[in-house]
Amino acid sequence: MFVSDPWLRYKQRTRVAQDSEHAWKQKTVDMSLLGGLLRAGASYCQSAGTLLHTVRTISTGTCCQIRMHAIPQPKKVDRWTEKRSMYGVYDNIGILGDFKAHPKDLIVAPCWLKAFKGNELQRAIRKKKMVGDRMMTQDRHNLEKRIRFLYRRFNRTGKHR
Amino acid sequence: MLRFSFIFRGRGVAKRFVSSFSNESALPPNLLLPTNLVDPDRLKRPPPPADSSLPLLRKCDAAVPAHLTPVQTWVESMERQDSEPLGVAQLHPDVFAVPPRLDILHSVETWQRNYKRISHAHTKVRSEVSGGGRKPWKQKGSGRARHGSIRSPIWRGGGVAHGPRGPTSYYYMLPMKVRVQGLKVALSSKMAQDDLHIVDSLNIPTPDSQYLLDLIRHRHWGESVLIVDVGEDFSENILQATANLKTVNIIPAIGLNVHSMLKHEAIVLTLETVKFLEDKLLWHDERYTPLYPFKLPYSDFP
Repeated sequence: MFVSDPWLRYKQRTRVAQDSEHAWKQKTVDMSLLGGLLRAGASYCQSAGTLLHTVRTISTGTCCQIRMHAIPQPKKVDRWTEKRSMYGVYDNIGILGDFKAHPKDLIVAPCWLKAFKGNELQRAIRKKKMVGDRMMTQDRHNLEKRIRFLYRRFNRTGKHR
Repeated sequence: MLRFSFIFRGRGVAKRFVSSFSNESALPPNLLLPTNLVDPDRLKRPPPPADSSLPLLRKCDAAVPAHLTPVQTWVESMERQDSEPLGVAQLHPDVFAVPPRLDILHSVETWQRNYKRISHAHTKVRSEVSGGGRKPWKQKGSGRARHGSIRSPIWRGGGVAHGPRGPTSYYYMLPMKVRVQGLKVALSSKMAQDDLHIVDSLNIPTPDSQYLLDLIRHRHWGESVLIVDVGEDFSENILQATANLKTVNIIPAIGLNVHSMLKHEAIVLTLETVKFLEDKLLWHDERYTPLYPFKLPYSDFP
């Protein structure tokens, strides 16, 4: 039995698995792949079963273990869905429809952003003005902190004030 | 001519390539040709000459400037698949023959994409991330770097310093006359490239989608067709026929826009639609600047 060799038992206890495999390889002649090594080692010696989990992947063969697609497939996009084929319809509802409606009525947005563009401070002030009394306390507190910070940042620091 | 056994997207241009090679399919099977390449099959019917025998079904209502002549096109019928054109129609040159301003088309198209865009990307700042109010360890003596809170941006799990903040809108409006000119340029470009078709009415004999597809393929209108009609009532047949088709869409005339015109290869207008469009688009050439928004009542408009 393999275990009876005191020198090898010492190596199994103290060294990393790689060295023990190396020692096994010296015993077994024709092992080139890792799986074969482990299986052969495990079958030889039951006490080395726990070392299977600590084995590093080394390959002494010539085949490459990493496999991947060199050029991945382009993703398939359907250019004619309902949303894509009907995009932009009614954008000219004002000029073609007697000005009863405006394209800004078509925008799907939170109410403080409909037909409005501004930087972060302007958006925050508008949100507080329009929706502030409906907000949750933590969100409103954060919004007020943000407005305070941005006001000081824009109007008191930097080149433009 | 040699025939192909595989599917290709060109409109017959590939056949001209093959005829110059002998006994081999010269084109690779996965070749994608642009579908707006000039196809010799479609050049079969040239625009109507000035003295054609067919009746003039429509004249321009508005006054045509003296230095311009109206554009003439065939008026076709959708009743039968292989019918000849019914007559000839005249279209106003200030709507259907304006100079092709690609920059106006580009600006109107980008406006259409961006004015309704709302970006909902949002990240939490260091003050909004939960926790992080206490100083993690004392300033001096612990040997570690000095920190004030565990949610500062340099920490893992901390807030983002300069990230996207909340729903952002990209709304802006182009001047009204620029949007009107964009419509005119798009219509003129479609007319100039033989992609605009005038039809007397949208009555088709069957509610079958296949009938429409055969008609479009027979007349070489293209892969995608946009059908425009005035009014909210469409006939049941055309509605049912286009309901299941992805690339053939029908919209009311109020919904006409540059993006849809550029997306679909062919546009089909009825005679009433042409009258409606000319009426609406030519008014902007001779209007006064608005003293108050047009949606408020004016004595002479609409």
